[in-house]
Amino acid sequence: MIIGRVVGEVWASRRHAGLDGVKLLIVQPHLWYCPPFEVAHIVAVDTLGAGVGEDVIVCLGEPARRALTTKMGEAELSRLFSSPPGYQSAAWLPVDAAVLGIVDQVQLASVESSASGTHRPLRFVGPTPAWGVDAVASFGQSATQAAESVAP
Amino acid sequence: MKRGVVVGELWVTKQAPGLLGKSLKLIAQPAQQVSDGDAASRTLNELAESQLVVAVDTLDARNGQTVLLAYGSGARNVVVADGSSNRFELCDAAVAVLVDGDSSGALDCEIAPQVVMLTAQELSR
Repeated sequence: MIIGRVVGEVWASRRHAGLDGVKLLIVQPHLWYCPPFEVAHIVAVDTLGAGVGEDVIVCLGEPARRALTTKMGEAELSRLFSSPPGYQSAAWLPVDAAVLGIVDQVQLASVESSASGTHRPLRFVGPTPAWGVDAVASFGQSATQAAESVAP
Repeated sequence: MKRGVVVGELWVTKQAPGLLGKSLKLIAQPAQQVSDGDAASRTLNELAESQLVVAVDTLDARNGQTVLLAYGSGARNVVVADGSSNRFELCDAAVAVLVDGDSSGALDCEIAPQVVMLTAQELSR
């Protein structure tokens, strides 16, 4: 799985029968993610109703197809697997990325503060930090300084 | 399997049913260590090419701990360890090993604090 932010939605009127009625989200992965194909965005199917601006967990590969079908009821499944002839299971769906969860909170490891020597827990809530934007900014600055201090 | 460092934990309430009750950890995967250069430049190189993944954790890894991640069907085998069918598990990465140490030191990872700082910056954008 990877973590990313939903930045948009795809509309498509003509699509594969296996993707009928499925919402497609554009997800921008957080931090350094380098897929084997070089793209800045991933299009993932939505099973949870994620909206633009939310941080989500995106699953890649086979489990993504499973995620799409486990959401469906019997009727939907039979319709899905009867309309394109030969499609008998989720393994045939043209899907390789699915949203599995909407992130409420990321609790990062404590970082040892060089000044006081104490541990400072970091908490971020939702897409934008609900507490102290200033604190985040100053923290980011100290991180930059730390990076400069270890540079040769 | 690939090595990684645990940098945090994810709290997710709205999730696919298959993920219920599973502990999700945020894990940074530093690039392969380059042998030349001093420790500081090596650290920066690693940071520049690290990747961030979300993995299912059944072993209770601590923050900052070096772990080995299994991917694909290997990850599903970690989550369902009793040998029963796991084709419907919604999991593509899982913590398989908690590393105590290794003889060559190649798996040592002391960059966790810097990775955490960069992650904090990225997530707060």
